[in-house]
Amino acid sequence: MSEDKINALERMIETFLMTSNLPEDMDLESPDMKVFLESMPEGKRTAFLTMAKDLDVRKMSNAFNTAMSKYWDTVLQAKSRGKKVVFIPFNCSPEIFYALDIIPVGVEVLTTFTAILEEGLEKYLDLAVERGLPDTMCSSQRGTVGLLEAGLLDKPDLLVNGSLGSCDPNSKIFEYMSEKFDIPALYLDIPFYHDQRSLDYYTKGFRQVVEVLEELSGNKLDVDRLKEVCELSNRATELFLEINEIKKMIPNPVPNYYNQIHLGTKLLMAGTQDAVDIFQTALDVCQARLKKGSHVMPEEKIRLMMMYTGLYFDGGVHLWLEEEMGVSYLLDLLVYYDFNPIIDTSNIETMINGLADGMFNLPMTRQLKGGWDMPNNWLQDCLYYVDTYKADCLVFTGHTACKQVWGVYRLQLSES
Amino acid sequence: MKAFKELTEISGSRQNSYVSAWKDQGKKVVGYVCSYMPEEILHAADILPYRINGKGVSDMSQADAYLSRVNCSFSRCCLELGFRGEYDFLDGAVWINGCDHIRRCYDNWKAKRPFPFMHMLPVPHKIFPEGRQWYKEEVISFKEAVEAYFGVKITDDKIAEACSVYNETRKLLRKLYDKRTEDEPGFTGPEINTILSASVSMPKPEFNHLLEQVLQETQTVKEGSKKSIRLLVAGSIMDDQGFIENIEEMGAVVVADAFCLGAKNFWDLMDENGNVFENLIDRYYTHSPCPRMAGEYPTRLNFIKEQIERANVEGVILEHIKFCDLHGTDNALLKKDLEKAGIATLELERQYGPLADSGRIRTRVQAFLERIKA
Repeated sequence: MSEDKINALERMIETFLMTSNLPEDMDLESPDMKVFLESMPEGKRTAFLTMAKDLDVRKMSNAFNTAMSKYWDTVLQAKSRGKKVVFIPFNCSPEIFYALDIIPVGVEVLTTFTAILEEGLEKYLDLAVERGLPDTMCSSQRGTVGLLEAGLLDKPDLLVNGSLGSCDPNSKIFEYMSEKFDIPALYLDIPFYHDQRSLDYYTKGFRQVVEVLEELSGNKLDVDRLKEVCELSNRATELFLEINEIKKMIPNPVPNYYNQIHLGTKLLMAGTQDAVDIFQTALDVCQARLKKGSHVMPEEKIRLMMMYTGLYFDGGVHLWLEEEMGVSYLLDLLVYYDFNPIIDTSNIETMINGLADGMFNLPMTRQLKGGWDMPNNWLQDCLYYVDTYKADCLVFTGHTACKQVWGVYRLQLSES
Repeated sequence: MKAFKELTEISGSRQNSYVSAWKDQGKKVVGYVCSYMPEEILHAADILPYRINGKGVSDMSQADAYLSRVNCSFSRCCLELGFRGEYDFLDGAVWINGCDHIRRCYDNWKAKRPFPFMHMLPVPHKIFPEGRQWYKEEVISFKEAVEAYFGVKITDDKIAEACSVYNETRKLLRKLYDKRTEDEPGFTGPEINTILSASVSMPKPEFNHLLEQVLQETQTVKEGSKKSIRLLVAGSIMDDQGFIENIEEMGAVVVADAFCLGAKNFWDLMDENGNVFENLIDRYYTHSPCPRMAGEYPTRLNFIKEQIERANVEGVILEHIKFCDLHGTDNALLKKDLEKAGIATLELERQYGPLADSGRIRTRVQAFLERIKA
């Protein structure tokens, strides 16, 4: 990292640390706090209030931000500690990397979090385009490219894309980064269908990636370490599935904010104790809310579900939906995890199969790799989630890069 | 130039005279959309493969009701024509999951105005042994679907015969491209485009016959072409003579390309020895790769560099249809690497359609040519 520039990660860590221990008795109406809040740009203020206003949410955000500051510090220190870093998209699970002592970084999560930088993200989105990337590519990855272009990020040792075929921009950006910044890249092809033949094909590809990862990292996959990671991942899955059960209640006691931390935790930390701790805190909070009858205030008027991505670029939108309209934000496609399997930890084979199966069923990968109305695809999943979580409405939001959903969302709406 | 005139007529009409004559014999026509579709399978079934295009559309209101403004204008134009019934002469269609746009074009077409026979032939997104096996199984499944639906038997002998015909087409097209590379090219870019369009919308034996005649007829060089700047054009699907005409009117001659309807579609011959079906799979799976194939960027760059050298190219225009992220992203890398290699390169974003956005394109090409001259 060039010394004349402050690494983006350092500044992110600072922000996470600042917001990782918000006191229970924090008074948002105090004169000092009012001055502090007024000094913040509007977007950052609403994002802060989303985390801080509700005491229950504050408990969750404290746990999440603490883990995040630790996680990003690990990424920042990786090189000096002799660890490899891999950039992955949100359709690539982190567990296998933890098992191989490689640090996984989700590029979409990284881009989203860099929005908290003082200068914002826009200039890096623009820089990526200025240097050649089409402006129709996904901004959730473009931000990371912009930060690399600006020299505010160390380039990773490796790139791994887990799902060629479910979204063209998502996979193409990895080839772009590989060629532009001279980083080795591995790709996993995802078949068009969702059946046993396809899963077998995908699992074979996953095994090949694991073999190459072993070579590149110089770390041999250790069965005990893999088991430890898989068990932690399973525990996290069990916890968030319990939270999902609570979401089915009418009214829904799970705060809207939870969806944001769910995604960040799953994408970056599945397979770690920190992920378990975050989901445990979130579950404790949700169970307590269920017990005391807390829910979206002042009352749950609309149970809303996003049929594709949520609005992660605006940290304040969940609170706004809650307070202004009594909207209970149940799920968006990026937290559609009901079909995530519990990994069978009997032996190395079952664990590899389980991890591949998990990736095969990740959000977007599962729903958008084939025809929209095929079995286990977008239409069927949306109908399942609406029915299971008793949603009153489905909302479609798509980035301009999301051609695969913009191309069929009207069909989807007419069938939903 | 009688043969060329005939090819011009064919490329200019959707249900051309050859298609009509074919149908009059009670034979079937099946549409397709991508160069990863092994046409030989259909040819072996005595079915005419017809490459679907979106030419001639100026209003996409019906397609826009389903595909959106962020889907590329090629897929929208194709769907528009489908919705209007202009492809009703097809007895079926086979799609490839080539990109997000075209596979969603398929979904909408299938949902709203399906052909009696519609088949998706998914192709892996990278080249590796398991991918080849997957592709082979999908081609077998496609072959079986054709046999079952149309009540035909596609024998190995028929496939071998088809492969021979198609290889002949490829060899003739390479001869055509040889003439392009001469100091005074025998064909203009729009003429080449016309021939290529005809090549995918009529029976191959007849096309081969006409192309042989064209190659014999064209002995004279194009006046003034020696003074023109020699360009290679590459990028998103190109069947728009007007686009190439616009470029050439600015003082250039297009002497090479890297299009999926152009050189990339026919450059690789098929090995006719040994197991022909296996060779067919190899040929289509590993042919000059589309930007959809991950990790194949170096191959695509090398292909362009080879064509540049072969045709003594002075500059490269990389075009992509707006929202075509696959070509758009590849083009950004290609521009960087070609410029680094000392080859003047222009990136152009365009819309698919008759002379869409032509003023801006002419201005940019003019400035680019001035840069090369300087």
